[in-house]
Amino acid sequence: MPRVTLETLPDYARFLIAAAEGAAAQFPVRRTVRLPGLELIAHLDPGAFADALGHAFLETDGDSLSSRQCRIFIGHPGVGGMPVPASWGDAHFTEHGFAQKLAEVGLRGHHYHDLDFWQVYDPDRRVGVQLMRSADAFPPWEQGAPLRAFLHWEYAARGMRLAHTGTLGLDGRGVLLAGAGGAGKSGTVVAGLLNGLDSVGDDYVLIDLESGVTARPLFSILKQDPQGFVRLGLERRLGTDRPINWQGKHAFHINEIAPRPMRATLDIFALMVPHIGGGETSSIVPMSRKDAVIALASSGIAQMPGERESGFRFFSDLTRLLPCYRLLLGTHPEEIAGTIADFLARAPDEAERDHAGL
Amino acid sequence: MPLSEVYAVASKDIVFESFDGEAVVLDLSNGKYFGFSDSGSKVWQALSSGVGTEALIRSAAGAEMVSAEALETFIAQLVELGLLAPSSATPLPSSDDLPAALAAASEPLNVSVHDDLADLITVDPIHEVEEPLGWPAVKQVS
Repeated sequence: MPRVTLETLPDYARFLIAAAEGAAAQFPVRRTVRLPGLELIAHLDPGAFADALGHAFLETDGDSLSSRQCRIFIGHPGVGGMPVPASWGDAHFTEHGFAQKLAEVGLRGHHYHDLDFWQVYDPDRRVGVQLMRSADAFPPWEQGAPLRAFLHWEYAARGMRLAHTGTLGLDGRGVLLAGAGGAGKSGTVVAGLLNGLDSVGDDYVLIDLESGVTARPLFSILKQDPQGFVRLGLERRLGTDRPINWQGKHAFHINEIAPRPMRATLDIFALMVPHIGGGETSSIVPMSRKDAVIALASSGIAQMPGERESGFRFFSDLTRLLPCYRLLLGTHPEEIAGTIADFLARAPDEAERDHAGL
Repeated sequence: MPLSEVYAVASKDIVFESFDGEAVVLDLSNGKYFGFSDSGSKVWQALSSGVGTEALIRSAAGAEMVSAEALETFIAQLVELGLLAPSSATPLPSSDDLPAALAAASEPLNVSVHDDLADLITVDPIHEVEEPLGWPAVKQVS
């Protein structure tokens, strides 16, 4: 079994990309995913990962971003001449050190030790490799948001960002919902969708600061723990016969509960940080940008390999562009959605005025 | 611990931004965030830009929230957190408006550490590591 150290990491990353490109003709399946400004061409073989690519993305038309193409080879030793994945050979490993070493040579990468699972990407050539021990030897979270690390690297290279946020909107204008898991973000998105609001996604959305703050959809999967599933009435609506995911949560497609077809974009005019309020009714109160950026950036950066400093700068710029609010959640989904709908219906400049009175 | 004449940001992994006058610092090496109170933000901005400690103490003379003793404790805390390190650079004078800014502060010197990613572990074990040890040192959820 080959072992990779920090010293040999750049050579190993280059080796993986060369091996995949050399075996390109032997990948049996080619799948194209059309995302905002990006045509992702995945080369892989049939199986669970190919199935995930088929249902986990939200593909939209009519987006104004100019499109590029990237190629990702998803391989294992059973495909052509793809090598057996190496193990990590140093006693010491940090995500930051690993990412920095690759960034020095213009590459990006991630390694999940338990499975000897490698992802490496060359943003200049827009070619990436995901190498696994076998066709189904990938971390379980990849099914809900497959290839997200590659999307993170590709979009970051273009000045955009995958943000770990939920979204809700009305008539094309919306809010970002930021915060760590358990804060009520996903339940708020589902409550909004069930009560007539739009969303371009939960968990990860694409953010662009080119012209204000614009959010775009990437992934289609929503998740709820069993308690939330019942509380939101999803048990009656979606049934209970689908499998529970690796987190013990129900996973479902956003289009199963969205009130209308997905929008290609939401123009974001506020950043909200949900909290379980403890009261009957919801309220929205201004919060400092300092506290908001910590809620937004900490989970957004921690969940993505590499690009930490650029992520911090990006999320800082984003936060400065938006008024920030704490969303204290009530107990009834309809009431929560109504509170946000009322907020969305108000003019953005009114929101800005609120914030100026902090 | 005696104060150094001047301090500098401890490493290139320490990055910071300011939001409406309030500082947020990120340690890139371990993903920890640090949020400063209003007086703490002013002191951080001064020290991280090379203002000498003597000049800073003089600037804080009229500030209710920033006694010399509190300042000494605060600087020691920033050093202990790995955000600042003693420097051999020439100390810079404080800006003309620093005394007024410190006098106007309404919060005592404080830095809060945000290392609350433990709850994300249940969402995604991709980061289930105890940095800076890394794998296979699994992060302990307290």
